[in-house]
Amino acid sequence: MSHSDSPHSSEKAMDIVNNVKSSSHRIRNSIASIFGIVLLAGCATNAPQDTWQPKGDNAQIINNLQWIIFPMAGVVGVLVFAFAAYTFWKFTDRGQPIPSQSHGKPIVEIILTIIPALILTVVGVFTFRGIFELANTEDTEMVINVTGQQWWWEYDYPVQTDQGITKPIISSGQLVIPVGTKVLLRETSRDVIHSYWIPALNGKKDAVPGRINLLRLQADKPGLFAGQCTEFCGLSHANMRMEAIALSKEDFAKWVAGQQKAYTSPAAGTPAKEGEAVFLNQCIRCHQVNGLKKADGTPAIAAPDENVYSGAAPNLSFLMSRNTFAGAKFDLLNKSCREDVWGASPETIGAKYLAGVSQSCLNETDLRAWLRNAPAMKPMYADPTKLEKSGGKYRGMPNLGLTETDIDKLVAYLLTLK
Amino acid sequence: MITPGSKYFFGLTGLSLIAAILYMVLVNPSDLGAVALIGLAASGALIGAMALFTRDGDVYADEEAVAANAVAGPPSFWPIVFALGAAMVLTGLATVSVVFILGIAVLIGGGVEWAIHNWADGASSDHEFNKFARARAISAIEYPGLAAVVLGVIAFFFSRVFLALSKESGTIFFIVAASAIFLVGILIAFKPFMKGAATVIVAVVAVVTLVGVGTFAALSGERKELAVAAEEDHYDASHRECGKEESKHYDHHANNSVSLRSAVTATIFVKDGKVYAQSMGISKNVDTITIPRSNSTSVLFRNLDEEERRLVVNLGTAKVNDTGDVKELLGTCTQLTGKNQEQVMTLTIPKPATDPEQYSFTVPGATGKIKLVVP
Repeated sequence: MSHSDSPHSSEKAMDIVNNVKSSSHRIRNSIASIFGIVLLAGCATNAPQDTWQPKGDNAQIINNLQWIIFPMAGVVGVLVFAFAAYTFWKFTDRGQPIPSQSHGKPIVEIILTIIPALILTVVGVFTFRGIFELANTEDTEMVINVTGQQWWWEYDYPVQTDQGITKPIISSGQLVIPVGTKVLLRETSRDVIHSYWIPALNGKKDAVPGRINLLRLQADKPGLFAGQCTEFCGLSHANMRMEAIALSKEDFAKWVAGQQKAYTSPAAGTPAKEGEAVFLNQCIRCHQVNGLKKADGTPAIAAPDENVYSGAAPNLSFLMSRNTFAGAKFDLLNKSCREDVWGASPETIGAKYLAGVSQSCLNETDLRAWLRNAPAMKPMYADPTKLEKSGGKYRGMPNLGLTETDIDKLVAYLLTLK
Repeated sequence: MITPGSKYFFGLTGLSLIAAILYMVLVNPSDLGAVALIGLAASGALIGAMALFTRDGDVYADEEAVAANAVAGPPSFWPIVFALGAAMVLTGLATVSVVFILGIAVLIGGGVEWAIHNWADGASSDHEFNKFARARAISAIEYPGLAAVVLGVIAFFFSRVFLALSKESGTIFFIVAASAIFLVGILIAFKPFMKGAATVIVAVVAVVTLVGVGTFAALSGERKELAVAAEEDHYDASHRECGKEESKHYDHHANNSVSLRSAVTATIFVKDGKVYAQSMGISKNVDTITIPRSNSTSVLFRNLDEEERRLVVNLGTAKVNDTGDVKELLGTCTQLTGKNQEQVMTLTIPKPATDPEQYSFTVPGATGKIKLVVP
C-alpha cells in the first residue's frame, strides 16, 4: 500500500480541505461584515462631518451637485459592473468553442462615444454652475482672516463697523460667525499647506503660505459644526481640528462685545493673580493676552516669532469664551457640559455657548495634563534637543517643566480669561 | 605574480586599515574619520585588484616589436596651459581674486587635459588608437565644460550689453537677437546647404560680434541711472528714500518688474492727492487694513495721480541707544510709481503694535492715512 493510500493520510487530506473551506468562509464572512459595516455607517445621523447634511447655502450647492452626480455615477457603475460580471460568467473557459470574432461595429462605437459624452456634458454643466456659484464673493457681508499653522487655526476679525467690530478680534480653534450672514474666509498659512474644511458649511480650501484663498461660509441656523484639516501637514495633522459656531445675530453681537472688552487683571492676593505672574514669567514668551501688562506697567508683548517655527502661538485673550484648546484637539468643557452645548437646540445654543467655561464645567484633567507636558498630549516637534532643522524653534508647545503649584495658579488665572 | 602597480595600492590599503584601527581605538569608532580611512582602504584594495587583473595596463610588453617602429605623437600644448594657470594663480594671489579663481579653473583644466593626453600617448604604440582613446576618455568632460564656458561668455557679454543700453533699447535688442537666432535655427534645420562649415562660420561670427559688442558696452559703462544709483548708494537699504524722491536717476519703469499680484490682501490707491484703500472681500473703502502677524502679506499700491508717488509703511520707532533717548523710524516703501501704475509691498510683521495707532500706510505728498492693524 502506497503512502498516499493510507487511511491516516486521507484523514489528513480531508482536514486540509475542511480547513481551506473554513478559511475561505471566514474570509468571505469578514469581507461581507466589513462591507455591511461601511454600508450601515452611511446611515449614521450623528455624524458631525457628514458631507450629506448641509447646514448652509454653500454646502447646499455642493449637496445639490452630489444628488445629481452620485445617482448618475451609481447607475453607470452598476451597469459597468453588471456587464463585466456577465462577460466574466458567460465567457469563462469551460472548454466551449471560441465565440465568433468581429472587428469594428461603427454603430456600437458611435453609441459608446456619444453616451459618455452626453453624461459628461450633463455632469459638466451642473459642476461648472456649482463652481461659479461657490466662487461668488460679490455680496460678502463679513470678512475673517484664517491662518493655518502646525497644528491649529487662528481667526482674526478685521475692523468691520457694520458688524459691530470696532476693534480687531483674534481667536483660535473655534470660528464664530453670525447666522444668515455671507462670511468670507481669507485663508493663508504661516508654515506649510493646510486645508480648511467644515463639511456642513462648505467644501475644502487649501491655506497656502504667501497666498490668500477665499472660502465663503453661511450657516442657516445656530449650531456647532465640526471640521478637520484635510491637507497632510506634518506630525499632528490628524489633531488639527476646527469647529465653527453659528450664533444668532443678537448673540453674535454679544460675543463681539465680549471679545472687545478691556483686560481685567485678577484681584491682588488671589491664586489667579499669582497665576498671572506665572503667565508673565513663562507663557508670555509665545502666548499673547491683549491688555496684559508687565510689572513695570508696560504692555506685555509675546514673542512667538523668536521661539516658534511658524512665528505665532494662539492668542489666549478670552480663552474661556471658547470651548476647546490645543488646536481644538481637547475640550475646555467637561463631558457633561460639552454634551449640553453640542446637544442644545438652535434656540438655546447661543446662550449656552456665550456662558463660556465656568469653574464647574472646566475640563481640568486635560488642561492640567497639557500644562504639565503638552508634547505627551499631542505629538509635536517640541523636543529641545532636536530642533536643528527648524533653526532652534519649536513646532508646537514644549514641556515647560511647570510645578504643580504653578499649574494650580495658571488654571486659576486662565479661568479668569473670559 | 603581484605587479609593481598593484603593490602600491595594496600597501595603501594595509596602511589605511592600520590607521583606521588606530583611529577607532584611540579617537572615536563612529567618527567620520574612521569611515574615511576605511573608505580609503577599500578604494586602494579595489584599484590594486584592478591593476593586478590588467597587469598594470602594460601594453608595451606585448607590443615591443611594433613600438620599435612606431611614430611618436605630436607634442602636447597642455603643459603650457597648466603653467599659465599656475602663473594666474600666483598673480591672482597678489592682485585680484578673479584672476586667482580663473587661474584655478585653468590649472585644473590644463592638468586634467595634460594627464589624459599623457595617459593616451602611452595607451598603445598605435598613434591613431591613442587619439581615439584620448577622445573617448576626455569627451565626456570636454564637451560639457566647453559648453559651460561658451554659455558663460554669452551670458556675461549679453549682460554687459543690457546694462549699457536703456530699458527700451534693451528690449529691442533682445527681440532682434532672439529673432535672429530663431531664423538661423530655422535655416539650419530646413536648408541642408547651411549645415557644416556654414554653420560654424555663422556661430563664430555671432560669438565674435557678441564679444565685440559686449566688450564695447563694458568699456562704455553701465547706463547713467544705474551708475548714479550705485554712486548714490540707492541699493543700500539704510539709504533708501521713503519721502519725496531727490534723485532723478531711479527706475522710471518699476511697474515692469515682476509683482506678486495674485494674492494681495488689500489695495491702496492715491487719487487727486488723497489716499484710500480697499480690502479683499470688503465692498466699501476701508481706513484700516488688518494683516496676520508673523506672515508675509502683500499690499498693492496703485497710483492714479499724474505725479509719481510711492507707498510708505510706518512701523513706529526703535531705540538706537541703551537709554532709549535716540530712536530711529522704522518702515519701508515701494519705488516711485507713475500714473496708473502699481507696485506691491510685501510685509512680515512679527508682533502686534503696543499702540493701536503705531502702524500705518502713507503716501508722501498725499493726504490721508490707512491704519495697519496686526492683532
